[in-house]
Amino acid sequence: MSQQGKHRILMVSDFFYPNFGGVENHIYYLSQCLIKLGHKVVVMTHAYKNRSGVRYMTGGLKVYYVPWKPFLMQNTLPTFYATLPIIRTILIRERISIVHGHQAFSTLCHEALMHARTMGYKVVFTDHSLYGFADIGSIHMNKVLQFTLADVSQAICVSHTSKENTVLRSGLPPERVFVIPNAVDTAMFKPAPKRLSSDEIVIVVISRLVYRKGADLLVEVIPEVCSLHPNVRFIIGGDGPKRVRLEEMREKHSLQDRVDMLGAVPHAKVQSVLVTGHIFLNSSLTEAFCIAILEAASCGLLTVSTRVGGVPEVLPDDMIVLAEPDPTDMVMAITKAIELLPQIDPQDMHNRMKKLYSWHDVAKRTEIVYDRAFKCSNQNLLERLPRYLSCGAWAGKLFCIVMIIDFLFWSFLQLWQPDQDIEVVPDIDLTSSQTGEEM
Amino acid sequence: MTKSEMDTSIITKGRYTYIHDVKKGPPEVIDVHHIVVARNGAGVVKFCACAFLFAVICFLILLLLQGKPVAKVLWSFTFAAFFLKQMLRKQVEKGSVIILPAFGVQLETIYRSGRTVRHFVPIGKILKPVLNECVTPVTCYWSLSLILRGEEELLLVFKELYPPVSMLVPIWKALCAAIDNNERPEMQSDCDTRRFTPKR
Repeated sequence: MSQQGKHRILMVSDFFYPNFGGVENHIYYLSQCLIKLGHKVVVMTHAYKNRSGVRYMTGGLKVYYVPWKPFLMQNTLPTFYATLPIIRTILIRERISIVHGHQAFSTLCHEALMHARTMGYKVVFTDHSLYGFADIGSIHMNKVLQFTLADVSQAICVSHTSKENTVLRSGLPPERVFVIPNAVDTAMFKPAPKRLSSDEIVIVVISRLVYRKGADLLVEVIPEVCSLHPNVRFIIGGDGPKRVRLEEMREKHSLQDRVDMLGAVPHAKVQSVLVTGHIFLNSSLTEAFCIAILEAASCGLLTVSTRVGGVPEVLPDDMIVLAEPDPTDMVMAITKAIELLPQIDPQDMHNRMKKLYSWHDVAKRTEIVYDRAFKCSNQNLLERLPRYLSCGAWAGKLFCIVMIIDFLFWSFLQLWQPDQDIEVVPDIDLTSSQTGEEM
Repeated sequence: MTKSEMDTSIITKGRYTYIHDVKKGPPEVIDVHHIVVARNGAGVVKFCACAFLFAVICFLILLLLQGKPVAKVLWSFTFAAFFLKQMLRKQVEKGSVIILPAFGVQLETIYRSGRTVRHFVPIGKILKPVLNECVTPVTCYWSLSLILRGEEELLLVFKELYPPVSMLVPIWKALCAAIDNNERPEMQSDCDTRRFTPKR
């Protein structure tokens, strides 16, 4: 199925364009760079409002918006077996060789990986977030993750902290997990052509204003910083449930002229907001990687961030000032950053980021993971079942039953509609102006 | 019409047969494409089993109602016959596309019950024929549609048929050629039909 070492990859996730976010951008940029390397990439996600069916994106990236309605936080309704027919149809008609699922919180991803394993395809999983262990939601999700990862060919995490977290949650052997960090589009995130004056220091915050992103910390930090440093101004971009608290804080301390609230900033406008500032403030309480600080560094801003999750692994020490997620510590870090500002050269920072992070590098490393996944042996159902049994006393047996039923359903589908009856899609060359077609 | 005035090519795949007739009579060449659906042997058995099951269910429901058993049996078979007839009405035997150059396109659907539905589209009304991939919650298939000027909805050429794409492509190419010939000769062709040739 792969000619000259080139793969045909199916990316599956509940999170894709037209939504914007870390996972969505990751899938898009990775797919574009893999296409440039000569692979064929198809994306499968659920339908968004009336965006349903097949769409083509830049470079001939084909996206299947399968008309399953999302039921909770962008996730498709988990039906276990109902997605098997459409996934089987897509895998056969596109002649897929490897299935790559993204994000542990995506039900479509888990179902697709389960069905792909039943049908004998090689499977790779990328985990993008850190999750807990203690609350009831996390316990259930970790069990689901354990089931999916029991039989995955290879797994990818976006930072070493994330790898630890995934390995602990799922019981996957660490040697099967690769660490490939995210990257940033340095062509899009460029510093301002003219360097900003240092009379007034502008601190930029762009994030969803939710508890997880530390909006409550901001409420404590901003008034303190404003009183300590009279020449500091804040620009806050983003929206969310905590926006009200920030506005109340602004009213209480009369900071209307020193704190600008921009509301939701579309992704295309983020760069224009970042270049108006000197310092980028990230107050997340948990973060597996944090692409936002990469974008800020690429625009030449000095970053102040909470020392959580994978954040310390992202930037070199001279580009970031870390603090504990505590208001006093963060105020001290901002003070230190303001003192460091004269030594920062935005253009130099941008050039260093160009060398450190690039999506082409991520794609090449992912290609190595795909090649390694291909070398895994093909195993039939009986050889795979013991892996599920080791998931737990009761859970193991339940998972085995689920996989056996899945296998029986697949066998029934093969009798109802044999593989040869599903038409293969011809490769249409949308990128070049040649009239020849590949086949 | 003598054999020399007609060119016929036939492709068969699974249940579908594609027949292409070119009638070279005066005044113009008329392009006719048929897609014929074969009677499915296993389908007939399944169908009769479903009808029988339906009759049994009707009978059981009517058992709950008070009344003469003979009347109940008759009623349940009446329902089953009605149900059969409705299903036969839906079953398509043949779909045809007749391209009349510089005039229009006639779409015909012939059902197994004998009913024929015809739809004529003037050539000026067709903006472009398109091959779409349609995605449903359980499957994905190709369909040939016409984009009509001034209309929001696409017009499906074969409404209840799902023929393979290798049969839809020659019809699409013929439709594109007919539309291009209708427009001014110096205009560039929009349908790059050379780029799409599936494996047979």
